[in-house]
Amino acid sequence: MNGGTPSGYWHLTLGRASLLLERRALWVGALLLSALLPASLAYLVLGTERLPLAGLWPALQGSGDPFAAFMVQELRLPRLVAAWLSGAAFALAGCLMQTLARNRLATPGIIGIDNGATAFAVASIVGLGVSLAPPAMALAGGATAAAITFGLASGGDTRGYRFIVGGIGIGAVFGAVTQLRLAQVDIDSANAAYPWTVGTLNSRSPGAVTVLAAGLALGLPLALALGRSLAGLRFPDAVASGLGIPLKRRRLQVLTLAVLLTALAVALAGPVGMVGLIGPEIARSLSSPRGVPLVASALAGALVMVLADLVGRLLLAPIELPVGIVTAIVGGPWLLWILLRPSRSPV
Amino acid sequence: MTLLVALLAAVAIASVMLGAGDVTPARALAVLLGRGDDEAAFVVGSLRAPRTLIGIVVGVSLGLAGALLQAVSRNPLAEPGLLGVSAGAAFAVGVALWLGASAATLRIAVGQLGALLGCVAVLGVVRLRGMGDDPVRLVLAGAAFSALLASLTSLLLLFDQRTADEIRFWVVGSLAGRHLEDLVAVLPSLAVALGIIAVIARPLAALALGERVASGLGHHPGRVRLLVILAVALLVGAATALAGPIAFVGLVVPFAARALAGPDIRRTLWLCLPLGPLMVLVADIVSRLVVAPSELPIGVLTALLGAPVLVAVVRARRLPTL
Repeated sequence: MNGGTPSGYWHLTLGRASLLLERRALWVGALLLSALLPASLAYLVLGTERLPLAGLWPALQGSGDPFAAFMVQELRLPRLVAAWLSGAAFALAGCLMQTLARNRLATPGIIGIDNGATAFAVASIVGLGVSLAPPAMALAGGATAAAITFGLASGGDTRGYRFIVGGIGIGAVFGAVTQLRLAQVDIDSANAAYPWTVGTLNSRSPGAVTVLAAGLALGLPLALALGRSLAGLRFPDAVASGLGIPLKRRRLQVLTLAVLLTALAVALAGPVGMVGLIGPEIARSLSSPRGVPLVASALAGALVMVLADLVGRLLLAPIELPVGIVTAIVGGPWLLWILLRPSRSPV
Repeated sequence: MTLLVALLAAVAIASVMLGAGDVTPARALAVLLGRGDDEAAFVVGSLRAPRTLIGIVVGVSLGLAGALLQAVSRNPLAEPGLLGVSAGAAFAVGVALWLGASAATLRIAVGQLGALLGCVAVLGVVRLRGMGDDPVRLVLAGAAFSALLASLTSLLLLFDQRTADEIRFWVVGSLAGRHLEDLVAVLPSLAVALGIIAVIARPLAALALGERVASGLGHHPGRVRLLVILAVALLVGAATALAGPIAFVGLVVPFAARALAGPDIRRTLWLCLPLGPLMVLVADIVSRLVVAPSELPIGVLTALLGAPVLVAVVRARRLPTL
């Protein structure tokens, strides 16, 4: 039965349904998970108040030292979950956009989706008579930015320079709108919103975690379902059409998914766009070039986010560096490295 | 050209006359005619007039820098703001302020150094990788570079609350609260930059025909390019040290100038002289009036004006090479 299975794959069959599983993808996933676990433990234990590792388990269960239990359960665990979810969402969206635009630099952050979401969400945070919750506002903003960009790239072409450069321009407009909103309100509200505009896990709005979890639960399976066409989208248009991929519809679906994930993550953590670059980059360097490493990207994104936020909390304690700045400082040189090194593959 | 200069003069007078506060246009006009009251004379003489002059210098600098960058990279999207040159200058000035430098000359020199580094970094990386002909790569590299430097600058803001206010006000780009001494400190480097431009205008026009043609005509493309980068760094560094990073002026102004002047780089450069200040002053006046008595950062307005132009450039049917 397994005669047709390509090497390096497992062929799972259940009744009539069958699935090709790439062995290497599983190993990469396991590797990233095994890195995420100690990082998460360190995240829970370390901080301005250091907990003994032995005290962590009782604290998680709610027994033992009530102070430690409070800190872990009320402060660090929710923040850890927020870091996981937002990192995974940013990286997954980044991977989708990179594949869509066939350009490793074309992450949602660069294309201006982050900025659109931020502009709208800031409007709701500084309270300008708009009463929608930040996730809804961020979604509206990200969708607006993406729709304009997509509309400008006439014919729904997401590879041409029109899409990318148009996105950069739209992003600049929305960045200006954010500045404008912040300039219009009083200094206290502006200061309150400022760290969030840089990207931080410290000022999470209630509900954003739940919404993002729902979004990821919906988005990841959808992205995986699109996985095969995504691999085809990396080829030139003629080849992709020849493979039977409905290009226009697929592009719109992928874009929608990327916008959804980005906007919900922005509503939670602010524009930490660099994770959308670093996560897929790590995943791609580990995975085989055959498929699009969606799950690995999400895991790597979560790992990057947890580590970056941990560094941000510890480095200058008691001052906290926003995670957006940590990722930008790590991601910036990385970006230049991508530009500098000999290009092997277009994506 | 004459029309543009007349228009610029009108806008400059409007910039002196209009503003928040109770110095009305009529009172400001009285000062200009030499018989105003003390309060109006103070507002006009020490606040609005320097502001207008600085706006003119910033506009000239950014407009010329944009035109030069676009000519030398043969890319209509090359703009000091988009390429990260302004971000480099802003970061350098931010560091200087953070380290406690307050002298205007020092700030300007540091800003120019930062602009030079930014210029060399982006153009160098792109040339090194042989993607100078690809407008998107250049802009993407610039956007990435700007993002990095912008977050480093905001890191400075978070580090030091004391200087944060000083930097924060300046980092968004604004013409408000600048002093004439800053302007005087800029003038020498501006003169040097204009001198360079006068020398390289002809070779630059030849370079537009391609490197081989330019060499055949007896020019040295490498030397021209070097001089252009130097001039751009001087101009952008000065403008940024004066007003903070103001994006899109270097895109919109040469775009309009090219539309008026056609392909000749020399005429384009001439037209940038009135067009640059025109855009900056109009944006500044609007930024003062729209939310009076407070102000908008001027960068917000130039971005709102500039992004549609960017989109127009991108949507143009013709292949966007110069």
